[in-house]
Amino acid sequence: MSFEVTTGGVDLDDIQGSVVKAYGRYGLIVARYVFFHVEVPVAGRKFVEDILPLVTRGIPWNDPSFIPRVATNIGFTYEGLRHLDIPEVTLHGFPEAFSMGMKARREIIGDTGPSLFHRWDPVWNNRDDTTQHVHIMVTIDGKEEQDLESRYQEIRQILAANPGVSQLEGHRGADGDNLQYQPAAAILPSKDNLGYPGGKEHFGYSDGITTTFFEGCGEDKNLVIGGGKPTGGDPHSAAGWAPLATGEFILGHPDEAFEYPEAPGPPLFSRNGTFMAYRKLHQNVGSFNAYLNDEGGKFPDGKEALAAKFAGRWRNGAPLVSFPTEKSANEFIMELARLQKKVWADSASSEEKNRFAELSLQLVAFDYSGDTSGAKCPFGSHMRRTNPRSALEFGKRNAFDVPGALSNRRRILRRGLPYGRVVDPTRDDGDHGVIMLIANADLSRQFEFVQQQWMNYGNDFGLANDPDPLLGNHGTNEGRVGGGRMIIEGDVVTNKPPYFCNRIPTLVETRGGDYFFVPSLTCLRMIALGIIDPT
Amino acid sequence: MANKSGNAYALTVLCPIRNGVPPGAPPGGQSYTALLRNQLQTLHVNEESPMAKVPNNYLCRFWVLSDVPYQGKPAFREHLKSDYLVFSSNFYGELEPYLEGMWKALEAGIRAILEHCFGGETVTNAKSFIEYIKKCQVTTTFFFNGSTDEPLAQQLKNLYLKQELSKFAFENQGKSAPELQAAFREFVQRTQPANLSGPTWAAGAYHLDRVVE
Repeated sequence: MSFEVTTGGVDLDDIQGSVVKAYGRYGLIVARYVFFHVEVPVAGRKFVEDILPLVTRGIPWNDPSFIPRVATNIGFTYEGLRHLDIPEVTLHGFPEAFSMGMKARREIIGDTGPSLFHRWDPVWNNRDDTTQHVHIMVTIDGKEEQDLESRYQEIRQILAANPGVSQLEGHRGADGDNLQYQPAAAILPSKDNLGYPGGKEHFGYSDGITTTFFEGCGEDKNLVIGGGKPTGGDPHSAAGWAPLATGEFILGHPDEAFEYPEAPGPPLFSRNGTFMAYRKLHQNVGSFNAYLNDEGGKFPDGKEALAAKFAGRWRNGAPLVSFPTEKSANEFIMELARLQKKVWADSASSEEKNRFAELSLQLVAFDYSGDTSGAKCPFGSHMRRTNPRSALEFGKRNAFDVPGALSNRRRILRRGLPYGRVVDPTRDDGDHGVIMLIANADLSRQFEFVQQQWMNYGNDFGLANDPDPLLGNHGTNEGRVGGGRMIIEGDVVTNKPPYFCNRIPTLVETRGGDYFFVPSLTCLRMIALGIIDPT
Repeated sequence: MANKSGNAYALTVLCPIRNGVPPGAPPGGQSYTALLRNQLQTLHVNEESPMAKVPNNYLCRFWVLSDVPYQGKPAFREHLKSDYLVFSSNFYGELEPYLEGMWKALEAGIRAILEHCFGGETVTNAKSFIEYIKKCQVTTTFFFNGSTDEPLAQQLKNLYLKQELSKFAFENQGKSAPELQAAFREFVQRTQPANLSGPTWAAGAYHLDRVVE
């Protein structure tokens, strides 16, 4: 694929690739997440220095020949930076959310009950043994397993050369294994589980369709549609969208409030870096399927429609607000898949190419201004909560200075891939879910706010304290019964009554994670050289 | 004018606190201010609050104002002649019946508080209490009423009914018309919508499960 990029004023060569790119979109669909502990700071810095040449940068991949077979990126916990000789003054400049770490922020982000750290993978959980504290995360994304393996071996060699650094094991696998790293891989659509653009997650939803778009990100400029911030113009076209400010995601650049995000000094240390939350999210597939079968049997429009109401998209990816019926959604996706096949095989006519582009756009080019009652896409659906577009105006045009006034500062970059395999779709146990990597400039204002206010609370949507049906913490399931509830709004036009989903079980549980600082290439060099001077 | 918004009233009172220590206090004894602050800080809150007993009291707050803050240069540094007990409340209806209700519910508590204030000794009954409060009242500016315009008991019943009706909707979805009607009859009988005394939310209730049967 080749495309026209937008890079204005941002040195993408200095920013890590995993921040600006969703690698899966470029065919890097398998990954390993590897974690390290630094015992000897000098060795830790040497380890960083040795990894540096492997680190993938954010330069645009707007020509297929630019896309590598494997990408490598690196991030550090607060404790990790402390073990790399970062000066105290610099450390103290980090925001509280980052220095406290994910586990200590559990009450805010809802990692309680079924998501409490006691149930996390051992790698995150060895509180008494300080040598187990996670300091460094290295992510490897590749096209195929063999690409990952060769890069992994290169890193193992670097590790062997730096005995003051150790690799942390303790990732749970399918059989309760004590894995050396966290593996992950995209789930590609099958014949009977059609989806677009490709990636599925374990509940069967097409995932990662919209990608958050910011000024200078170096991605295809057309991705601003649906991925940027609403302008008040036609949401079905580029006029309806503008790139978000760089500083919402990259430190050292102005954000949506025309300010620099909070970051430690010296400026060169933090500029072009970001914060990333790593989260291993287990999916209770058995509970999901049981609830869907049971409640879907009663829901007037059936099981698939209920699944769609939960997410805001049909499981095949078609957005509910544009395709309110299952039939229209299926027809749309079938046509899209047919055209995609032809375009990819280079056998499409120019008409078909145009049609393909037009239909692809419909996946992302929409807002909720035509659905102010939630009759099509419920207020409580996952997608409308996580990315409200202009929905928080509640249909009142020009309610605020800008249509996204209440959501533009709550956007995140979603990275990561599914992990594990569902062996028995009637069971919750096993090891399968999603590794979420969430990048933002301010963990507290962006990721944690979304988690606290939009995933585990409903007041901003007029939904009292109802959590998100899919990602909300509905308490510990007893016999597949949880405390979740969701209102699926009715339709006054067709006189359709609302539908109440009750006792929704907790469908997603946290199994580990932490907050990482993902520095610029410049900063990585400074860490390696030990020349950070905040004075 | 600014004290009222619909039927809601916002009362702001500044009672001057006596300077020094009470007569007969031991050497190094606590000041009137310290004693009063201690008394206020150990009051129970929410439905255990003495103020939950006061009819039509929506919400209220007591605190001790020790001095005016200094804004930094070039502002002058100014001081109050005494500390003040600040009482701020929102309630339903007119001032006098509210204060009368407060006196009836909390006479001993009011006396215990006002004995730390200048002129507190003049308060001996409801009438003198009302007079005292009116003397100390200042106009409430910027009154944003966060409540519906109804008596407290009605509001508490409304909130209770809203919560119960929501539960009812979730519990009874999909039932046939006769079943639904039977369930609703049971609901009405149980919740007694017209009976404001119960079941309802307790005054001062902070948690959703504090229901008075």
